[in-house]
Amino acid sequence: MSRHIKPHRWADALAGKVSDPERAAMKRHADTCNACARARDRVSRASDTFPTIRTEESPDLPWDSVRARVHWSVSKHRREQRGTSARSRVPALAWSAIAVIAAGGLAAIHGHAPLARPEVEADPLAQAVPHPTTTPAPVAKSAPAPIAGLVNRVSVGDVMIDGARPKELFAQRIVAGTVIATGEGRLDVQFGDASAFALGPHSTLDVRRFDAEAIELVVDGTIDVEVAPRAPGQRFLVFAGEHAVEVRGTQFRVSHEANATTVACRHGLVAVQDRAKRTALVGNARSVRVATGASVEETRVVPLSVDELSSLAAATPMMLPVWNAETLLATSAPLEVTAAGTREVRVDGIEVGVAPLRVRVMPGRHTVEATDSAGRYRRAGWIDVAAPSSSARPARVEVAAEPAPGAAGAAIAERRRQLRGGIDRASLSRCTRSIAKAGLTDTYVQIEISVDATGAVGFLNVIDTDLPSATAGCVREVLVDVRFKPGPAATWREKLAL
Amino acid sequence: MNVSAPPDTKSGQAMLLRVKRETGGFDRAALGPADEADLIARCRADDRGAYDELYHRFRRLVAGNLYRVLGDRTDLDDLVQEVFVIAFRGLDKFRGDARLSTWLYRICVNVALGRIRTRKRRPAAIGVADLDAAAIDPSLVERPEQPDRTLQRRQDQARVYAALEQLAPKKRIVLYLHEIEGLDLKEIAYLVDSNPVTVRTRLFYARREFYKIIAGEPVVADGSGEGDT
Repeated sequence: MSRHIKPHRWADALAGKVSDPERAAMKRHADTCNACARARDRVSRASDTFPTIRTEESPDLPWDSVRARVHWSVSKHRREQRGTSARSRVPALAWSAIAVIAAGGLAAIHGHAPLARPEVEADPLAQAVPHPTTTPAPVAKSAPAPIAGLVNRVSVGDVMIDGARPKELFAQRIVAGTVIATGEGRLDVQFGDASAFALGPHSTLDVRRFDAEAIELVVDGTIDVEVAPRAPGQRFLVFAGEHAVEVRGTQFRVSHEANATTVACRHGLVAVQDRAKRTALVGNARSVRVATGASVEETRVVPLSVDELSSLAAATPMMLPVWNAETLLATSAPLEVTAAGTREVRVDGIEVGVAPLRVRVMPGRHTVEATDSAGRYRRAGWIDVAAPSSSARPARVEVAAEPAPGAAGAAIAERRRQLRGGIDRASLSRCTRSIAKAGLTDTYVQIEISVDATGAVGFLNVIDTDLPSATAGCVREVLVDVRFKPGPAATWREKLAL
Repeated sequence: MNVSAPPDTKSGQAMLLRVKRETGGFDRAALGPADEADLIARCRADDRGAYDELYHRFRRLVAGNLYRVLGDRTDLDDLVQEVFVIAFRGLDKFRGDARLSTWLYRICVNVALGRIRTRKRRPAAIGVADLDAAAIDPSLVERPEQPDRTLQRRQDQARVYAALEQLAPKKRIVLYLHEIEGLDLKEIAYLVDSNPVTVRTRLFYARREFYKIIAGEPVVADGSGEGDT
């Protein structure tokens, strides 16, 4: 039997499952045995990765495609099950059929209309998008599932839907047949995972078809579209005057004016077709301008400039990461942000555009930030948004005017002094004791902290550190416990050496 | 694959809480018991919207579980599909005496186990550690790391998954659930459809093997791994 320590015992020791005398003996042994010391270090490093692995999130997947495949597979299974049960009932059905034929014959003799054909109950899963590669068994074709879009954001100005200004724009479903018209502002509508469009100012959009099989939008003005890759058989078409733009999965802009149509593609590939069915392909970072009546084949596809690309990127329609129209209608609510002057706004760290605007958010507490005169985002406040109800007033945040620069500096200096003076050093040492023992010193933690006028800490985020996550969490707890006196409100970043 | 309802509600709920606490990413899928029962009832009534809602609520949870167990994202979308197909087909058998998420987690474990077995027979086309994943690692986006720390972290993770890859599939699952997810024997027994004594034996041998591999010692597989039940 080897006198060396078994590697799994090091794991036990790290997990605190070894008695103190045994741990001391193990340590003594490792001090004199290079092999065991090396094994201990390797086991320790492996154990350190466990929390990281445990909190690892999945990468993004083609969720729509997976959903379509799931639905197809399940509905096929159910159809097969029904087929089996139908076969088992054949003798009974045969007798029924004879009876029906006899009844039909009698009806014909008496001059009545034959019996109506019984309707087959529609399988809701069978309405799903067809499998991209498998040819389905011949079944009765049901109408493709309709799609509903929801407004996610409205920036400045009027929006009319079907000729009226809806009172509750965010509760409105955008379905086939809807006509949207914008005034000064723009309107963002999401209609699926990673699929949305934004109608630009002074534009009109006619949603001609909106279902799982095809989406057809007729635009007069400007529309920015981002769509997730389409499964084969699914079509996405934008009609602009005499031109049709077809896509598979991409981000692009179509601008239709009286005398020309411009199509600019940020990524992916779009096909532009004219009245004579001639096609031009517009790829990544390229655009084409086709005059009315001109052939697309005679028109040059040109690269986009950096500014044009930036403009397209900035016009990306707003999309929520979780998409289900019915659930969102019941659970999300609009948040209105107003400001004096032009202020870029961020909600929960996501840039949503220039105030005044309204965006769709989930119920709960939301942090709103707005840019200052130097273009840096500053915390403007937080707001609790309630679940939607007809009686509730829409949540509203008004971005306050900027304070004088000198006053802000003084407030931060005062709060910074209070922070540094209020840290419980003993608790901090306890947090870093284990890593100090392991020889890890000269560490740091950088935080962002906000303190309001009453001295309450609004938020405290660790934005950078070289500490292990557990230690950083412990340090954060110590910092959160610092008590501030009533005084000026301040938000600042602090780098603390440990 | 067994998708029948779990027999032990307590352990199922305890595990759910544990998973929720440990992963921290569970709130998106969380539903109250009444809402959950309603959702299941609507699914059983073939309500297309309910299927969609279930999928939307749990898809990231399912994908996350599979991704962490397997350590790479090869064919992850196929596996997510498999989990939901099994769940949707087996929903009629779900008695509702455990949370839906617990039941889905169990299906994930079974699907992952099947995948590991297949991969053992047909070696993976790429390395077990998905180093490219660092490019979209959300933790890196939220809190920038020094590049050398990131690299070291990814290498350490790669070593862990490489060691897991050398274990027999059943040992690997048990070890993952115990050492990494931090679940106890009863919870693991429920997830792998076994009894705690078998799990304890499997775990004993799995830990010895795993840490030997991690420590760089030569390993001779011992104990039960694939043949036991």
